[in-house]
Amino acid sequence: MQDAPETLEIAEFLRQHPPFGGLSDAELAALIRALEVRYYRRGSTITSAGDENEWFSIVRSGAVELRLGGSDLNARLGEGGCFGYPSLLRDGCAQNEAIALEDSLVYRIAKPAFLETIRIHPEFRAFFEIDEAARLRRAVDRMRQIGAASEGAADTLGAHAAIGSLVRRTGVVTGGPDMTVCEAARLMTQEDVSTLPICGDGKLVGIVTDKDLRRRVLGVGLDLSSPVSAIMTRDPVTAVPDTPILTALITMAERHIHHLPIMNPAGDVIAIVSSNDILSQLGSNALHIAKAVSVSADSGQVADATSQLPQALTGLVAAGVDADHVSRYVSTIGEGAHRRLLKLGEEKLGPPPVPYALVCFGSLARAEQALGSDQDNGFVFGDGYDAALHDAYFAELARHLCDGLNAAGYRYCPGNIMATNPTYRRTAGEWAEIFKGWIESPDPQAVLESTIFFDMRALAGEKSLVEGLRQEVFAAAAKNGIFLSFIARAAATTRVPLGFFRNFLLQDDADEGRVLDLKTQAIAPIVDIARTHALAKKLVATNTTERLSGAADSESLPRDAARDLAACFEFVRDVRFRHQAEQIARGELPSNKLDPASLSRFDREHLRDAFKLIRDQLEKLRSQFAGGVT
Amino acid sequence: MVPPFAAWRFSRRFEAARKAAPEGPLRDFYEAGHPAFATPVEDLDMIAIDLETDGLDFDHSALLEAGFVAMRHDRVFAGTGKRIRIRPPAALSEASVVIHRITDEALKDALDEEAALAKLLPMLAGKVLVAHFAEIETGFLDAACRRVYDAPFVAPFVCTMALENRWFPRTRAADGLRLAKLRAQYGLPAYRGHDGLVDALACGELLIAQLAARNSRPTLGDILRR
Repeated sequence: MQDAPETLEIAEFLRQHPPFGGLSDAELAALIRALEVRYYRRGSTITSAGDENEWFSIVRSGAVELRLGGSDLNARLGEGGCFGYPSLLRDGCAQNEAIALEDSLVYRIAKPAFLETIRIHPEFRAFFEIDEAARLRRAVDRMRQIGAASEGAADTLGAHAAIGSLVRRTGVVTGGPDMTVCEAARLMTQEDVSTLPICGDGKLVGIVTDKDLRRRVLGVGLDLSSPVSAIMTRDPVTAVPDTPILTALITMAERHIHHLPIMNPAGDVIAIVSSNDILSQLGSNALHIAKAVSVSADSGQVADATSQLPQALTGLVAAGVDADHVSRYVSTIGEGAHRRLLKLGEEKLGPPPVPYALVCFGSLARAEQALGSDQDNGFVFGDGYDAALHDAYFAELARHLCDGLNAAGYRYCPGNIMATNPTYRRTAGEWAEIFKGWIESPDPQAVLESTIFFDMRALAGEKSLVEGLRQEVFAAAAKNGIFLSFIARAAATTRVPLGFFRNFLLQDDADEGRVLDLKTQAIAPIVDIARTHALAKKLVATNTTERLSGAADSESLPRDAARDLAACFEFVRDVRFRHQAEQIARGELPSNKLDPASLSRFDREHLRDAFKLIRDQLEKLRSQFAGGVT
Repeated sequence: MVPPFAAWRFSRRFEAARKAAPEGPLRDFYEAGHPAFATPVEDLDMIAIDLETDGLDFDHSALLEAGFVAMRHDRVFAGTGKRIRIRPPAALSEASVVIHRITDEALKDALDEEAALAKLLPMLAGKVLVAHFAEIETGFLDAACRRVYDAPFVAPFVCTMALENRWFPRTRAADGLRLAKLRAQYGLPAYRGHDGLVDALACGELLIAQLAARNSRPTLGDILRR
């Protein structure tokens, strides 16, 4: 007779799911010895909040909904989803209610066996340490490597160009192996370099970076009179000027290095190229679209130029350029299109009769545009504006601008937030009054609809008109706690989906069908969080990542929360851009909506982490600004 | 409704078998008794069992493997899952090697029929046995006991196939009562078939699903095979 649990169907199933994959046969068998199979009919309660929980549970088939204590947010677990572990780790009562959404088969492992596995197996433990943030950061790193290594579309970017084309700064500062650490650091400071090649007898023998000084000197308290040879990386990876850029990038990603010495045939170091140099080069080659936009003779040519944007985006994504750079690039093109169309309008209609500025709102203002964005714009008029005399000119200019933008792929705003709408052609004073109305007598619906106006940026004309308005508005908002509480609450009403059900994501009200909307469900909540802090602290920045870091600087947001949200923001936008690149490759219109079934397991898991992080931060935001009341 | 006198008839058969059993594992099995028909299912200790054989003729086909796992009305104790491999009297026919993925290699740790029964019977003693299409299990265990002990095997059996037909009668496809089909109907996952232990687990899971769907408080008498 055999003790056979390890050959059971159960072991095979567990092995396919992440926390169990790394367990040895014996460790897995120990868990299975303590395993019960339970079956729950649809609608039945598996665990109630406040129950003593003695089990770690895994959904074998069906679907389970976790109703998270104290909120209306739900996590839905499909096959392989785990629950019940927070209370085991805490040694407390269950905080969540678990309900079978479908007839479900659930594997339950008794608490002692689960805790023992946690104790002896560090990787298994790490999985449950609920640090979604750390997993997310790892995901971003890994994703970049995958992106960098993937082929295709690189030709359009000049990624096959030689790395020598990147070398701008000549005359490389080098050190010698006999220098002390202190001397090397001083030299790097004087010359303002972050990397110091070390040469002995005319040959490159090593390389020292800022990071080495931190990690191998300061971090370990090394004597500063030690020779630099003790801390340098010996025999560093190098490239020659003819090395293709993409090859260099892949090498750097594989070896986890950020600086590459470029050698000439004689073996001299002629330059140091950083990974940033390479990424910005891949981006700047795509700048020919920006150039084409800026010299367009009419709106037709603008549209021709912007029509290449999807292809350029595909190339950037394939080359592994990070989402922040991709959206800055897309936004740059968007800005250029606005400016050029406005200029062409002015040329046609004659010079503007009074000073004015073109203001944009929302994602373009934040430099976070993706493909398929709507236009959101308005005019701000300076002194001397008289509607009776001047509005006809600006109405015509607005029509020219907005029609041109629509033709160029920036669709008319469904909410009619466009300069063609007289509501959004105002003097700076009138604009200030509108904002004052929102701030001083907020009502929830109006706040919800007005948030994008608080992301504003001048694109053309008298930019000081917009900057003055922005300062006035932010000053009024920052001192109005009631308004801030409305803003925070508006952010917190966003429904963040927490789980994936089999391959589908279910929203709380599932009316939308089984579609994940990355923009409204993942990106917008982070933008909302950053905006709330920006208003509270009168931050100048409009960009979400910059706002998050500004919020940390002004101690409105803990540093680690800001960092985690920024990583999360980067991750979800990267998923969006890769999704859009795939849509483009299939000949579809790029959108923010995707079928969760099309996601890789890797992305699904990390999206789940992202949603958890966002939910936690939304709750913190609510208690910070809205006193925890809903 | 439990048929009248079912409990009495079963007890009489069980008692007769006890008397016929010689000293040893089978006698010990009977001495452990069986739960009363009036016992609520919540109080029953059960064992899901599946036998793999190389044919359907109780007297001439070989018993190759017994897989079994302990359970109660609402849970299967997966960690108790065990299998016993049984060495058939004659060499394996090629067809059954293919069907059951049992090779001569795997038979090295197999027991002969008498040793297998001596190991199996104590684990079944006092329990309710659960099988899908229990004719196989009752028939083969009975034939084996008659060969080894010259006495019949009588045990309280629940047949998940019969139970489905009785509790949830409907028109079905010809193969609609097969284990995999019924499991799918209850939202239970697809398992690899023709493995005694996996089939026992699969059958045990089906019973807890059936009991959950029935939504009544049956007794042993209600669920027993008739």
